Amino acid sequence: MDILFLLIPMSVVLALAVLGVFAWALHDGQFDDLQREGERILSDEAPRA
Amino acid sequence: MNTIASPALPGIAPAVLDDPVELRRYTRFSESQGQPAAESSLRLGGLHCAACAGLIEDALRRVDGVLEARVDPAAERALVRWDPARTRASALVAAVQAAGYQAVPDTAAAARTLRRAEARRLLWRVFVAGFCAMQIMMLATPAYVAAPGELTPDMLQLLQWGSWLLALPVMMFSAGPFFSGAWRALRTRRIGMDVPVALGIAVAFVASSGAAFDPAGPFGAEPYFDSLTMFVSFLLAGRYLEMKARHRAAETLEQALDVLPQTAQRLDEHGIAHPVSVQRLAPGDRVRVAVGDSFPADGVLLDAPTQADESLLSGESRPVPKAPGEHVVAGSLNLGAPVTVRVERVGPDTRYEAIVALMRDAVSRRPQAVRAVDRWAGPFLWAVLLLAGAAALAWQAIDPARSVWVAVSVLIVTCPCALSLATPAALLGATAGLARRGVLLQRLEALEALAGVKQVFLDKTGTLTDARPAWCGATPLAPMGAAQQAALLQQAAELAAHSRHPLSQALCEAVPAAGAFEWKAVREQPGAGLEAQDAQGRLWRMGSAAWLGLAPAPQSGASPQAWFGPPGQPLLRLSFDESLRSDAAAAVQSLQAQGLALALLSGDDDERVRELAQRLGIASAVGAATPERKLAVLREAQARGARVAMVGDGVNDAPVLAQADVSFAMGHGALVARSHADAVVLSGRIGDVAQAHQLARRTVRVIRQNLAWSAFYNLACVPLALAGLLPPWAAGLGMAFSSLLVVLNALRLAR
Repeated sequence: MDILFLLIPMSVVLALAVLGVFAWALHDGQFDDLQREGERILSDEAPRA
Repeated sequence: MNTIASPALPGIAPAVLDDPVELRRYTRFSESQGQPAAESSLRLGGLHCAACAGLIEDALRRVDGVLEARVDPAAERALVRWDPARTRASALVAAVQAAGYQAVPDTAAAARTLRRAEARRLLWRVFVAGFCAMQIMMLATPAYVAAPGELTPDMLQLLQWGSWLLALPVMMFSAGPFFSGAWRALRTRRIGMDVPVALGIAVAFVASSGAAFDPAGPFGAEPYFDSLTMFVSFLLAGRYLEMKARHRAAETLEQALDVLPQTAQRLDEHGIAHPVSVQRLAPGDRVRVAVGDSFPADGVLLDAPTQADESLLSGESRPVPKAPGEHVVAGSLNLGAPVTVRVERVGPDTRYEAIVALMRDAVSRRPQAVRAVDRWAGPFLWAVLLLAGAAALAWQAIDPARSVWVAVSVLIVTCPCALSLATPAALLGATAGLARRGVLLQRLEALEALAGVKQVFLDKTGTLTDARPAWCGATPLAPMGAAQQAALLQQAAELAAHSRHPLSQALCEAVPAAGAFEWKAVREQPGAGLEAQDAQGRLWRMGSAAWLGLAPAPQSGASPQAWFGPPGQPLLRLSFDESLRSDAAAAVQSLQAQGLALALLSGDDDERVRELAQRLGIASAVGAATPERKLAVLREAQARGARVAMVGDGVNDAPVLAQADVSFAMGHGALVARSHADAVVLSGRIGDVAQAHQLARRTVRVIRQNLAWSAFYNLACVPLALAGLLPPWAAGLGMAFSSLLVVLNALRLAR
């Protein structure tokens, strides 16, 4: 069961990392417009940044 | 009465759009990399799918000088960054219009952006708290389920350290509002709900940290990070719900106050009209007002006689004739002929603004219930703090190791979490239930007042009757056959098609024009009627009795009538009536069946109001009432101790709506009335008011159940906590369950 001494800290760090990545995605505006991103491939204009 | 609430976006003259006074209301000027840039918010119309957004963006980007254009199809808004040196705001609007859509300036954009940011921040706080609480729960589970000795001390220690690390974001980020709220309250020497909450959280965290890192220390060996974080996320979720309701109310209010820049046609010294912003008008200016437009300011009629629809202001649904030299009121509609008006009063001096001010006054006097709760909360919170302190001291003497935990338990168990959720959860549930029935509640507290309502005042026009008159029949005044009468009627309808008068429009609707007759030299004499020549050059007239050369009929109180025929020898009398809504009678009955006393309150002619009241079986009726008189009648009823509801729809109803304990506005009514009513009946069916009343009564029952349960829970658990029988985790768990119970009970109302 010694492996738990490694796994528990890892799970804690992982949880915090997940939180951080999600925070970045949210505040970066990736969830602002979910519908139009999917339809962008259908329009013939040049891809936007 | 529908003119203001029309859903189509009106066109605005380019000169008004580019007027710096108006421009500042919807555009932010900034400078980036030495380049000046303007950022304008536009409200869009005509969008029907998400692809439209792309088309509008393309159209905007093609305008020379546009730096960036973003369209939000869900909100129907566009945000455009442009270079003031290379283009103008009016060019942006023109580009959108050329693409086949409508655009008007969005003056409320700044406030909406702020609200959105606030909602997002709070939601993120809830998420962080909830996410971390679940992780901590996982780490805490072994300590609860393991048999004694199964978990080695160093493993337990590791789990506790992990919990501590995960609790950090909750304490430092999610719980921020509680700490800042408590600090604000303390700085102003008041005590708020946040103080015991912040204290409880802080003490629990410090003690838990002590227990986690120094199991032999003064805080014992048991940390409670799990109950702590769960507690924070539940409280935050409650706050989020409250904020949502607040924002929705603010939004509806804004929609009404968000007055579009209005254009006026100002005449210069050569008599040439120039479009200017209404805000640019000054007393002494002469403005041209087309038929169908509203008067931009209070003023005096200069050239021609006309008719004005002042129904928004006086409630009188019949157009008022105006002769040159008479005063016209801002906001009323010009129905008769294009006229010139000399401006006398503008902006805040106008009568329209005076009515709005009257209404604001009535609104600001209301929130007494809120202050009562504040007064009651102060002593309660002090009692909680004292109780917790006393418990800590007492346990210091009995068992010092447990004294901190007892204090924390008391603070958590007395936290009025379920208690504070009890009312808002039920109100929100009821709001959702009402929305499904087509009644939008704008002020949550109105439901409680509605349940206790004893008397309902109904406006007549637009509430019980349709705002426009309906044609109800023609009476021949000379001997004639049925075929001849039908032909005459057809002739009259053809003539009426030339006029915009409400009676003419009603006749045209009832008798569709067939194009069989040709009228020549059609002339409308405002306030009198129409005049025209038939194919043989014979003169015909249609309109009032005097216009046809009859003695003025004694019909002041009766429903409106018109005559048709050659001057001096009318052949047909056309009768009109206000059409009663089809559901009015049934709705009146169901309201009365619920034990409500009904009364009619209208600005219309007294006799007509009484007649209608009699027809519907309403005992009390007050006619010819000005807004001030309506207010007085309502205050009188309230002084007798009755809780009063008001149903109305015009601008003139707005002060009365605000004074009533509960107010309903019809969905098609004036925007100002809608924004100040407690609830908007979207369908315009008065029967929905009866349903809302029923739901309000159920809501109050659910609120009482919720309050009783949470008060019982809190009262029962305080002694347990004081006795040290209730560890903090049980206190937190109990709180969560009682909150859940309260919310589930409230959700019954949403169905």
